[in-house]
Amino acid sequence: MRILAFIVVCLTGAFLLYGTSEFPDWGDPNSPASLHVAAYYIEKTYEETHAPNFVTAVVTDYRGFDTMFETAVIFTAGIGCFLLLRDFRGKKEHYYHHIPTGVILHIKDEKKSLTIGKEFGYMDKEWVPPDLINKTVCRILIPFIQIYALYVVAHGDYSPGGGFQGGVIFGSSLILLAISYDLKTLVKRVSERLLGIFAALGVLIYAGTGVLCLVMGGNFLDYGVLAPLFPGMADHIRALGMLVVEIGVGIAVMAVMTIIYINIVSEGRHDEGL
Amino acid sequence: MNIIVIALLVFGLFFFLAGAIGIMRMPDFYSRLHPAGKLDTLATLAMVMGLALYNLNQITLGTILVSIKMFLIVFFVSLASPTATHTIVDAGMRAGLRHWTKKKKRG
Repeated sequence: MRILAFIVVCLTGAFLLYGTSEFPDWGDPNSPASLHVAAYYIEKTYEETHAPNFVTAVVTDYRGFDTMFETAVIFTAGIGCFLLLRDFRGKKEHYYHHIPTGVILHIKDEKKSLTIGKEFGYMDKEWVPPDLINKTVCRILIPFIQIYALYVVAHGDYSPGGGFQGGVIFGSSLILLAISYDLKTLVKRVSERLLGIFAALGVLIYAGTGVLCLVMGGNFLDYGVLAPLFPGMADHIRALGMLVVEIGVGIAVMAVMTIIYINIVSEGRHDEGL
Repeated sequence: MNIIVIALLVFGLFFFLAGAIGIMRMPDFYSRLHPAGKLDTLATLAMVMGLALYNLNQITLGTILVSIKMFLIVFFVSLASPTATHTIVDAGMRAGLRHWTKKKKRG
């Protein structure tokens, strides 16, 4: 049986290798991918947009509609996760731990609860005391991760990066906070309502930029007509428009990442979990 | 200069190789984490130091900046990697995974 599997693997590999021999050479100007619009982008992008990163120019300017609806898809994913998983019913029993002694209190009365503070802390079935090493290192690393995320968003039109990548990095820093401390620390600092508003705000910034272009007398997402709003930057106006749109994408992606994480780890209750 | 660079790169490669063999050959979860955690700090440090020295062939502001950025990578890796190893071991202990012993006992 193992020999048979080995033969199948070898055959598949051989077919795949045979298939790659039909591929065009790397960077071949006559390959199908670079015959139609690619040459136009390479020749004209810098003249038209002043954005050195062609990929960002193509994604957010030439194909701005596509990216806008991608952002809307991400927003929909966050809303869908919220609607499917969010559970507003409170738990019937509460567990607390007494911080100085470590005694666990089990309160069965639904209506009674203890104040959380220096004396009592939360407790649940998967509770583990946050580790000092993890907490310290994450506290050092999280600001750097967030600065890097802002850098990736802000330099989207100059170097590899952009709103999606920067937003994911920023969201991962928030998730790291939830992992290294606990979920309640994150929910207390970044409330659910704030995340929902951010997710909608990101899409609103993107679509609002398009509508603003319409109001200024151009086509939807035609950043060139925004020039009167930014005096003295007329030649960079398309790159600036891309930057605004990227910021919107970044905010939406960051909020949706965090919403999905919080809802999945706590089964929609936002009270326990990793 | 080049000799130091080559020596550092070979040193880093040797540690990567030893670590890779260690991950394959060690008997259990915890002892496999030992080479995996060592690799990321020492070997990365040696290799990036070699690359940063190679980059400083012509000393200008640009190359110095690039070298500083390389050392920032080492700094963050050496912060994050031991913490990750520590956390994985911690999770293994909490999940009740027993460590390997030389005598083969039942259970």
